[in-house]
Amino acid sequence: METRSFLTLEDVGREDIREILDLARAFAEGRVRDALENKTVCLAFFEASTRTAVTFELAARRSGAHVISLSEKGSAISKGESLIDTIVTLDRLGADAIVLRHQAAGAAALASSHTSAPVINAGDGCGQHPTQALLDLYALSDALGGFEGLQGRRVAIVGDVLHSRVARSVIPGFLQAGMEVALVAPMTLLPPDADALGLPILSSVDEALEWGADVLYMLRLQRERMTGALIPSVAEYATFYGVSRRHLETGALVMHPGPVNRGVEISGDVVLDASSLIPDQVAAGVCVRSAVLALSTGAAQRVAA
Amino acid sequence: MLEDNNSAELVIRRAYVLDPATGLDGTMDVRLSSGRVAEIGQELRGPRELHADGLHLFPGFVDVHAHWRTPGREDEETIESGSAAAAAGGFTGVVMMPNTDPIVDRPVVVSGLVRRVERESRVRALVSAALHVGLAGERLTEMRLLREAGAFCVSDDGLGTASAGVLRNAMLYARSAGLPVILHCEDHTLATGVVHDGVAASLAGLPGSPASAEDAATATALILAAETGAKVHITHVSTALSAALVGFFEDRADVTADTTPHHLTLTEDLVATLDGLYRVNPPLRPDADRLGVERALREGVLDIVATDHAPHSAEEKELPIEESAPGFLGHETAFAALYTELVLDGRLSLARLVEAMSCAPGRWVGTGGSLAVGVPADLALVDLSEEWTVGKGTLVSRSSNSPYLGRTLAGRVVGTIVGGEPVHDRTGARFGLRA
Repeated sequence: METRSFLTLEDVGREDIREILDLARAFAEGRVRDALENKTVCLAFFEASTRTAVTFELAARRSGAHVISLSEKGSAISKGESLIDTIVTLDRLGADAIVLRHQAAGAAALASSHTSAPVINAGDGCGQHPTQALLDLYALSDALGGFEGLQGRRVAIVGDVLHSRVARSVIPGFLQAGMEVALVAPMTLLPPDADALGLPILSSVDEALEWGADVLYMLRLQRERMTGALIPSVAEYATFYGVSRRHLETGALVMHPGPVNRGVEISGDVVLDASSLIPDQVAAGVCVRSAVLALSTGAAQRVAA
Repeated sequence: MLEDNNSAELVIRRAYVLDPATGLDGTMDVRLSSGRVAEIGQELRGPRELHADGLHLFPGFVDVHAHWRTPGREDEETIESGSAAAAAGGFTGVVMMPNTDPIVDRPVVVSGLVRRVERESRVRALVSAALHVGLAGERLTEMRLLREAGAFCVSDDGLGTASAGVLRNAMLYARSAGLPVILHCEDHTLATGVVHDGVAASLAGLPGSPASAEDAATATALILAAETGAKVHITHVSTALSAALVGFFEDRADVTADTTPHHLTLTEDLVATLDGLYRVNPPLRPDADRLGVERALREGVLDIVATDHAPHSAEEKELPIEESAPGFLGHETAFAALYTELVLDGRLSLARLVEAMSCAPGRWVGTGGSLAVGVPADLALVDLSEEWTVGKGTLVSRSSNSPYLGRTLAGRVVGTIVGGEPVHDRTGARFGLRA
């Protein structure tokens, strides 16, 4: 059985994505059951997480896997055990897959070089969050009439691109799906030489809608970034980079990886509006992560390389 | 007040017109109509004529650095008095610095100033907002909301920005906000004195600030400007090395720079007077620095002359130099001081002076600095032959802290026109219209 790590979305091609989403749909519709029977899935969360940890655990258990959870509290991680030692331990205990959340970019790649088990990156620092991008593509495909429906659609990624692992995964994901991608952020929240990405850089949600955005993908602004060093104030940020009800008149869909800062990225009356896919994104997490676990452990048919 | 006036047409006859922006250089007639330059030629006639025989006509001067002390210190200057002083010096456009009380760091302060300028200013006045909240060098201001409120640019003038990290973020954010940045380059860990740290300070027993205080901060600012791509203007360059650094970055960054009339004409030997009047920041430098700055201006490395017009009350200036407030008046003496000290001495051409006082700053602010047909009629009429002695009685400003007090200068602004409207008419008789 061939196994495969999911460290980044950069090396996941269009056909891979399509297969993952198809398999996820099979899980969602109950066409695949107990795919992970007798597999041991280890969740190693070096950094706090709510929805990612919960959905991975549900995804593993519903497919019949044994689950070992290590969180940053109440495990050897809290005693200062190094990443490599933790990974080696899990490897020797017979893990069939290691789901890793870590505060440092590159942690998943480092971990994968110390175990023969596939490593699934559940978010590493400002690096990557590939399963987030996959579940976003799943939820968006549902809303736009299937994966092929994404072709040619425009998505504006709004906010703190610089510090966002979500952005680093959804950008290649949306591009693989054939979407046009624009970034909407002040230069303080963009990578240096963002121009080199070859994506349009816009300066407000209004501009994104003028550009023709079908989807507004809002990034979370970390609290510590609201204090004035990178952006002057929540008021100015919300004015130019927040989505409010008036922005919905064009029919644009709103996405957010969560947790939302209401009144910052998204005004409170938009979060659960009909144009918001935020609940669908959460819901897609379980079936997409089941599919990723099944593919990575070799429990499901190998995804075409 | 200045826009859209439909005053009757005016022909200025037989002035010597000098405008490096358009290349005009000779005696000719200029027709103003509907507030704009309508025609330039010979033997133009009209119902209203201004006979300007013997006078020079320049595009109005533009001062990208002035402190009108409003709000907060209206005892020192107001928008009315500051703009009157500017007009008396031939300035038709001014950028107001934000280190007032309160500091111009909130949109409501900007919009209030913009409204007051419309009512109270004789010349075009643009508002510079603060680069960081309270000019404290920590939190960025709401630059996009400031711009929507009417701010033209942002600046850290008066204090500088201690942290290079904050300065870099501020430049990036200003670029996103579409605002130019005016930077006061001063490293406060080095600038601990009150005068230039040189021989004069040593002899006088005064704490000095070394040239490196300016040079290190200027280098930092230029490096960050090159890296961030921000539109940066370095103000009051006063050392030869800082001028050379600006030259090095000319083609590497979107950067312009100015120096002041006082750094071009005065040196640190005035420190020996121990007179609080001569305290200024950056301090007056040795003649070698003055020469370096002068050469940089001559060669165009420094683009602009700006006055750093900084009125202070007598109580703040009539003190020992260590206790006095730094700053000089600038508007009313700028042209005459530079004409007298540099042009008449053969160190700078008149055309280059007009380029640095009118054309380059006019381009930088986007208005003025040219007599091209069709542009708003912002101009200065100057009598180069008139000699005058600077005295408290000759100054229009509410304050009188001019370093040229008592000096006799050549060249006097006799009339200033903004948008076709006379805003300064020194003699009345000379500027009187003949129907």
